[in-house]
Amino acid sequence: MGLRYEGGAEHSVFLTDDEGEMLGTGSLCGSVLKYIAVDESLQGEGGAAAIVSRLVSRAYLLGRKKLFLFTKAQNEYMFRSLGFFPLAEAGGAVYMENSRRGLAGYLDSLEKGEGVQGAVVVNCNPFTLGHKYLMETAAELVDTLHVFVVSEDASEFPFKTRFEMVKKGTAHIKNLILHESGDYMISHATFPTYFIKDEAKAKDVNVELDLTLFGKRIAPALGITKRFVGTEPYCAVTNAYNEAMKRMLPKFGIEVIEIERKEGISASRVRELLKNGDIESIKTLVPRSTYDIIERDLISGAAFAYGSAARTDGSI
Amino acid sequence: MKIITTGVAGTMESSDIIVTIEPKENEGIELSLESDVMQQFGKQIEKVIRETLDELGVKAAKVSAVDKGALDCTVAARTMAAAYRAAESTDYVFKEVKSK
Repeated sequence: MGLRYEGGAEHSVFLTDDEGEMLGTGSLCGSVLKYIAVDESLQGEGGAAAIVSRLVSRAYLLGRKKLFLFTKAQNEYMFRSLGFFPLAEAGGAVYMENSRRGLAGYLDSLEKGEGVQGAVVVNCNPFTLGHKYLMETAAELVDTLHVFVVSEDASEFPFKTRFEMVKKGTAHIKNLILHESGDYMISHATFPTYFIKDEAKAKDVNVELDLTLFGKRIAPALGITKRFVGTEPYCAVTNAYNEAMKRMLPKFGIEVIEIERKEGISASRVRELLKNGDIESIKTLVPRSTYDIIERDLISGAAFAYGSAARTDGSI
Repeated sequence: MKIITTGVAGTMESSDIIVTIEPKENEGIELSLESDVMQQFGKQIEKVIRETLDELGVKAAKVSAVDKGALDCTVAARTMAAAYRAAESTDYVFKEVKSK
């Protein structure tokens, strides 16, 4: 069926005929429905509806109400009839959610700014002096700076900790508004590439979907006309993302401004030092507030979780 | 009947409807309906859902339903089941579901 397994399936359903022959399948991975496939002989016979129904019921039982899926553009219509609504389309792929007003509700809930408004999207794993410098510099160039912290827990530092670090570390920037990214910033971790034949192209589609969603839906709702990024000399993935931003966002009327990054400071360097147990050396790389949080969590034992979700990606 | 959690009943298979009921802070029923036969029966399905909730005394709820051509009795039955689940109530009143 042209799908590759990429892991992450927590709960899978199978559709079989009377002889036990497999005719279809689908899986739930967090709040994303994946690996939905139905035998050609059953297409148009409600096979996908049966699979999606079971997965949705299962997700609700687990308390997951906001559900998402990625699919090929040609399948959009079918998933629409199963209660999913498109969020963004790019590169032949569509990102959909199971609520007509999900994104609108999220956008309504965000605190609004005024005047010329800019945005940065950050993971801050953990929040460093480099992030602080980027935000201070960006905040000076706009009336309101919106900072979106990636909500997804796919980093060494859990979201709650990352958010707390950013909040404490930016408290002095008066025109800064902090937001959770919710499910509306697509990271490598959520984006499945299994349904895209050419694996090399998959990364581009991920980035294009994310930027389309930001440029077309999120930025206009808040009045954001500038997006800030740090220059990226180290990581090829992040650098490619920055390049895509410069290419795509101007089409939506958003100016991309690159801010020269602080020499020698990176979140990955901090993580490396922590892994080697060298907490003293991070003092020159992170703000006092971040240091205090890490020290506190090391004492309480909460920091053991830092290493367990080890997954390095290109997010800053 | 007070809605305190998310309740769901039904499937997306042909001739069925999946009804999801969630709590809502202020009074009123907020309903969002998707249906294969929206054009022909959208109003009728909405009426059945609203009347069923009214009969159960549900005053505040967020309801979303994806209909696949269910008959009125199915719509009513699925709405009831979802409401009882969302109210975490097991005080079922077993009775025939009448056509509206």
